[in-house]
Amino acid sequence: MEEAMQAFVFFWLAGLVFLLGSLLAFFSKEALRRKAGLAMTVVGFVSLLATPWTLSFSPSSAFGHLLGSVLGPSVLLAVGFYQIAFSGHVPVGRLSKQDRLLGVVMVIVGVVWFEAMHWWSLTPTYPSGVNPYWLIFWPTMLLFGFATATGAFAFVGVVGDRRLREQRLMLVVAGFFLTLMVLGATSDGPSIERERFVSELLLSAADLFGVLVGASAAVVLFFLVVLVYERQQPEPTTLAPPTAEQLERATATVAHHISGGKEA
Amino acid sequence: MNGSSPNRTLVRLSAWSLLPSVGFIVILWWFTQPSVEGALVRFVNSMLTSFTLFSFMLLVVLFTYGDARKRPIAPMVGVFAMVAISTGLTVFFLSQGDFLMEANASVRAQYLSNIIRFGTTVAAILVSAVVVGGTLLASILNSPPKVIHFEEE
Repeated sequence: MEEAMQAFVFFWLAGLVFLLGSLLAFFSKEALRRKAGLAMTVVGFVSLLATPWTLSFSPSSAFGHLLGSVLGPSVLLAVGFYQIAFSGHVPVGRLSKQDRLLGVVMVIVGVVWFEAMHWWSLTPTYPSGVNPYWLIFWPTMLLFGFATATGAFAFVGVVGDRRLREQRLMLVVAGFFLTLMVLGATSDGPSIERERFVSELLLSAADLFGVLVGASAAVVLFFLVVLVYERQQPEPTTLAPPTAEQLERATATVAHHISGGKEA
Repeated sequence: MNGSSPNRTLVRLSAWSLLPSVGFIVILWWFTQPSVEGALVRFVNSMLTSFTLFSFMLLVVLFTYGDARKRPIAPMVGVFAMVAISTGLTVFFLSQGDFLMEANASVRAQYLSNIIRFGTTVAAILVSAVVVGGTLLASILNSPPKVIHFEEE
C-alpha cells in the first residue's frame, strides 16, 4: 500500500472511526447503535495505538506512541478513583475495603508513573528524542488540572452545603499541580530542561485558551442555530379546557386509584 | 445553592477557573522571560481547529436531536454550513502567507498537524479532569452520611 494511503487508513480514518464511535456510544438511545459505537471506538483506538508499527515512516505516529505511553497511568488513575469512590457510602453495589485499598495503590502508582515520565527515565522517547507530543501533553495536563481544581474549589462552594473538606481537598490538588509546574520551571529534568518546560508551558496556555475560545464560539453558534429553528416551529395547538363530564371522570379515576380499588 | 444571582455565580466560577492560571502564567513569564515566539500562532491555530472540530462534533450530536424532533434537516443544514464556513476560514487563513504556518511544508500538513495537537490537548484535558473529578467524587462518596435534623413543630 502507498504511504499516503496507509497514513489515511491507519491514522486519519481510524481517528474518525474513534470519534464517531465514541459519539455514537455516548449519545445514541438504541442499545445496538451504542454497541456498534463502542466497537468502532475500540477499533479506532487500537489502530491509533498501533501507528508506531503500522506507520513508522510518518511523524504522526508519535501521537500513537504518546497515547500508548500515557494509557497505563491514565487507566490506573481512572480505575483507582472508581474503586475509592464506589467503596464509600453508596447505597447499591458498594465495593469492599480491599477494593478501596487497591484503588489507593493504583492512584499512587499512576501519579508516580506520570512523575517518572518527567523526572526519571520513563520520558516517552520517539523516535530518538523526547516525543514532541509529550511536550504538549504534560504542561497542558498540569495547567488544565490547576485551572480545574481552582474552578472546582469555587464550584463546590457554590453548589455544596457544608463541603469545606472537599474545598480544602481541591486546594490541595491545585497546590499539587502548581508545585509540579514550579518545580518543572525551576529544575532540569533528565530529558527536559527548565527553559524548554517554561516555553512549552506558555505554548500550552496559548493552546488551551484557543481551544476554550473556539469551543465556546462553536457552542454559542450551535445554540443559535437550534434556537432559530425552534422559533420557526409553529405553536402547539391549544386544547379546549376539560368539560364537566371529563372532570368528573378524572375525579372518579383518581379516587379509584387513591382508595386502592375499594369503594369509598 | 447559594442565594447569589446566576450571572454573578457564573462570573465567580469563571474567575476562579481562569484567574489563578492566568496569574501564574503571567508571573512565570515575568520571572523567566522566555521566548514566546509562536504563541499567537499557536493560539489562532488552536482556536480555528477547535471551532471546526467542535462544530463537527455538534453536527453529529444533532442526529440525536433530529431523532427527538422528527425533523432534523433544518438545524443540520445550519450547522453543516457552520462547519463548512469554519473549515473554509481555516484553509483561507492558512493559505495567507506564513502567518499561521509553523514548521510544515504545506497548508494541508499544517491543518493535519493542528488536528493532532488538538487531540493531544484533549487527551491532557481528559486525564487532568479524571484526577480532579476523581478526587472530588471519591471525597464526597467517602464522607460520612449527613444527618438532617428537623426542627420540632
